[in-house]
Amino acid sequence: MNYPDEHAETRSKLALLVAGALDAKDEEIVSSHLAKCDECAAELQNWQTISAGLRRLPTPQPPAWLLERTRSLVAARLDAQAEQRRNRMVLTLLIFFSWALTLVGWPLFRLATGGLLSLFDVRFHQMWLLFVVFSVLAWIGGGSAAVLLSLRRQFERRLA
Amino acid sequence: MRPFGVPIRITHMAGAVASVWEGRVEIEAAVARLRSGDLNALSALIARYQNRLYRYLLRMVRQPSEAEDLFQQTWLRVAEKIRSFDASRNFDAWLFTLARNLAFDHLRRIRPSSLDAPLGDDDSGETIVSRMVSGEPAPLDRLLARELSSRLAAALDSLPLVYREVLSLRFEEEMKIEEIAAVLGTPLSTVKSRLRRSLEQVRQIMEAGDQGEEKA
Repeated sequence: MNYPDEHAETRSKLALLVAGALDAKDEEIVSSHLAKCDECAAELQNWQTISAGLRRLPTPQPPAWLLERTRSLVAARLDAQAEQRRNRMVLTLLIFFSWALTLVGWPLFRLATGGLLSLFDVRFHQMWLLFVVFSVLAWIGGGSAAVLLSLRRQFERRLA
Repeated sequence: MRPFGVPIRITHMAGAVASVWEGRVEIEAAVARLRSGDLNALSALIARYQNRLYRYLLRMVRQPSEAEDLFQQTWLRVAEKIRSFDASRNFDAWLFTLARNLAFDHLRRIRPSSLDAPLGDDDSGETIVSRMVSGEPAPLDRLLARELSSRLAAALDSLPLVYREVLSLRFEEEMKIEEIAAVLGTPLSTVKSRLRRSLEQVRQIMEAGDQGEEKA
């Protein structure tokens, strides 16, 4: 590269040099040119004034009320998330419990009413129907209780 | 007393590295505690990032009231997403990416046609520069520095959004080029070209101001 080319090339890279965005190879080329060129060295000083000024720009301070309000907003959001997780866990447990009750309840029910041999007798007769109605009512009752509990907790949290 | 005659510069560098390392460890610990729902960790993180985040948002949207709103939204988003945050990632870059996305959504919604409308339209007369709190006192030097700062802040304020943000992230937030690329979601080459163009524009604006003053 001849001198005028090197000169122009260096000038085009000075902005990136002061921004610390030149790769090592380019930085070395630019530095070696700067060591022998006063004009480019003076030009570098202009760029350095701008970059130093940008680094020293005063920092705007957020108002104190904003920090307090942000903290309380985020705290409320975290509480709500924790409660949602708890509710989800309770509902999951209730569903598992209902399934377990249903699955275990039928054999126990048959065992109590008809003995071991009739355990797998699923013919649609009156006793089986009674059991289905009982199970469905138990499910609806459990689900409603969970929803009411969740609504009540949300209401209490809003009041607090 | 310097141990074993270690040069002052090296001990200072070691101190700075140790301080940065401690800072990282503190942030990681606070993030881990926040993930488990510790509100004190949240306060610690807000305290650590309050000035930087607010400054960045103010650079983006230019209106203090909008920056305040986005500041709150950013921390709410942090609370929502902290459980999905990958702890091996850089928290700074993650936080500023959330803030940036919210700021862009906001600008798209509020000022879709002119994302870079000049601040002079504001009736309140309040500008970013007027909100700045200056540092240490010193007679003439401080006056000159303040003059330069005001002009630079005004020049920065008049740049397009993409240039403002890249300058703010590099020179104010002191992020590495790789971190800026992660926040912006662009390749390194794009970050570099935006940096170069933005600096050139700032210089043009400053020089145009000088020429104007000379003529007057």
